[in-house]
Amino acid sequence: MNLLTISGVSLTYHSKTNETLALDNLSFDVKDGEFVSIVGPSGCGKTTILSLASGLIKPTSGEIFVADTKVTRPSSKIGYMFQRDNLFEWLTIQKNVLLGLEILHKKNKQTEAYAYELIKKYGLNSFEKHYPAELSGGMRQRVALIRTLASRPEILLLDEPCSALDYQTRLVVQEDIWSIIRQEKKTALLVTHDISEAISMSDKIIVLTSRPGRVKTIIDLNFDKSLSPFERRKQPEFSKYFDMVWRELI
Amino acid sequence: MKQNFSAEHKKYLNKLKTQTALTHIARILLLALIVGLWELMASSGLVDPFITSSPSRIISKLTEMFSSGSIWQHISVTLYETLLAFLISTILGSLVAILLFMCLPLKRILEPYLVVLNSLPKIALGPLIIIWMGVGTSAIVTMGVLICIVITTISMLNGFLEIENEKIMLLKSMGANKFQILFKLILPASLPNFISVLKINVGMAWVGVIMGEYLSSKAGLGYLLVYGGQVFQLDLVMTTIVLLCVLAGLMYMIIALLEMYVNKKRK
Repeated sequence: MNLLTISGVSLTYHSKTNETLALDNLSFDVKDGEFVSIVGPSGCGKTTILSLASGLIKPTSGEIFVADTKVTRPSSKIGYMFQRDNLFEWLTIQKNVLLGLEILHKKNKQTEAYAYELIKKYGLNSFEKHYPAELSGGMRQRVALIRTLASRPEILLLDEPCSALDYQTRLVVQEDIWSIIRQEKKTALLVTHDISEAISMSDKIIVLTSRPGRVKTIIDLNFDKSLSPFERRKQPEFSKYFDMVWRELI
Repeated sequence: MKQNFSAEHKKYLNKLKTQTALTHIARILLLALIVGLWELMASSGLVDPFITSSPSRIISKLTEMFSSGSIWQHISVTLYETLLAFLISTILGSLVAILLFMCLPLKRILEPYLVVLNSLPKIALGPLIIIWMGVGTSAIVTMGVLICIVITTISMLNGFLEIENEKIMLLKSMGANKFQILFKLILPASLPNFISVLKINVGMAWVGVIMGEYLSSKAGLGYLLVYGGQVFQLDLVMTTIVLLCVLAGLMYMIIALLEMYVNKKRK
């Protein structure tokens, strides 16, 4: 079943001096339970795709569906995770995690219990009452992911969630995000400029052309499903896929 | 974990302590030096205490005013006006800032007016205020409010606009409406900015109120200043200035304590 369908989407940005075609007749879909990455040269409108899918902006033409419902505005079916964790410094970790539920007026015993379950399951219970400033970059990003998951979205949109981190932390957080998403059986669409991140985490890579962004090619990754990102990096296929993506990008 | 410091670290801490102590001592010495020199020059006839007053004259004036109790009325009048001007301008100015933020077209329309109002010397409105508000407390408070309110609005609004757009997008992606964004993000994130506005307003409210009292008043510290100047009682003028320093300093300290409390709560 297709959870996310992007169908013939184009987007033009307007500014005083210019109009820019950012995306041109883009079509692809993400199936239920799939982990899909989008890579492309910088400025090809990768992040724009996520803004469109989340309903934050409207396409100039074309349509977007999430679980067969047309996307017209943000909804709780979609969980958007940004480049930076955007934790609210004045709220405790616990309250940060509950933020989405509060906004949706869905804070009740049941949903809170689910959020606490996530907090506990992913080792944040000892930090519950702490403030974000007391956490490391990797931990903060984990909180951001749990915050996104707490409102039970059907699909996660990840906008370069590791790019603001140093290299070692990035590897840890990639492992973290991948395993949490897998355990929670969520569908994810990841945007990244990091080729090895895309290969190590996803089932399928969509390569975009430079601006205006079009689908250049789609590469299916056939790793053993149980291999974690770190283990995938050690597989012989890894460098083969790296080469394939690299060649498409230049 | 406090006990496990190395000898080197203890040495470093001691150095910090000495530094703080020395700073305090130097501050007190500086004050003593100025007061002492002033007193010496006045009593030796190097300067005329009729023009410059002197610390001992100020002290005797203070004791006189406090023992007769006459000063309390002036202090309470000015303090009341200042607090009122401070509160009204802070609340009203912040509300206007919120309104402009929530309705950005209005902000675009009003921007040039704000700029002009901000650069206008508010004292120029003195005659109008007296004619419109009448002589007395309301005119003085109005002057105080006028001085503080525009800068409050501008600083608060700039603070709102500087909040990271990604955080706003995050809330929007969660389906938040304008008011949720305001109450969940904009206002709590603006608390540090709000406190720095309070700090500015404490000083500005005093400026406005003393200026207002210069324009028209029957009591208050500003009144004492004008009166003292007119009858050439420099002792009274100096004493009032000392009192103003103490009162304004105290009010500033209260805000500084509030800031410390907020920072501690927020880490």
